[in-house]
Amino acid sequence: MEEYPNGNEGSFNSEEADGVVKECIEAVVGGDDYSANQVNKWTASIVERCLTQLVKQGKPYKYIVTCAVMQKTGAGLHTANSCYWDTAVDGSCTVRWENRTMYCVVSVFAVAIP
Amino acid sequence: MEGSDTYLIRPNHQYKFKPAIVKECIREIVRERLSGMLYDPEEVPELSRSLADGIKDKVKNAGFDRYKLVVQVVIGEQRGQGIKMSSRCLWDADTDNYAEDVFMNDSLFCVVAVFGSYYY
Repeated sequence: MEEYPNGNEGSFNSEEADGVVKECIEAVVGGDDYSANQVNKWTASIVERCLTQLVKQGKPYKYIVTCAVMQKTGAGLHTANSCYWDTAVDGSCTVRWENRTMYCVVSVFAVAIP
Repeated sequence: MEGSDTYLIRPNHQYKFKPAIVKECIREIVRERLSGMLYDPEEVPELSRSLADGIKDKVKNAGFDRYKLVVQVVIGEQRGQGIKMSSRCLWDADTDNYAEDVFMNDSLFCVVAVFGSYYY
């Protein structure tokens, strides 16, 4: 298959996505403490906000954004992901954020549209 | 992933990503590997990684050609804490889909999500 030299399309820029996600988390749960009746609202807003900011960049990608919010009780948490894709153009970025009462882990997966 | 010149912009019905089948794949593997297991902070990183790879291979072999896969495994200790996990996707709802499963025992919980995105 011919290689077309593409000037503007590179691989997924995970640093840029990292910055976008951190900013979205801060905006939604920045100063709050864990609350079981608000957590539904928070995860939904974090995820929607991240998605809209990423889409604003206008890149030809499909996005999958997941967010987990967990109360701090001393319990441990591990996440792992395994992806079957084209490593040249697809990519992911995971952001771990915490405050005094909770942890928030957001993962963004970007799959290129050819 | 090589593109083949079939110009298929959507999969035939039998080649579509079927969440029910994938959920079954996930269930089998997770129940087999995690039943009776206790949360051990040394082992769990390796365990979650190998679970993710195992599930990815199993779903690949289930015959979803032209699908790019993302498998996410979250394992946590049970200590009475609350946790909420959600996801949002921007994709072609016609061709792309996802499957998920949650497993719990007394000492740990495990959430697995598999996302499939069609490669046009």
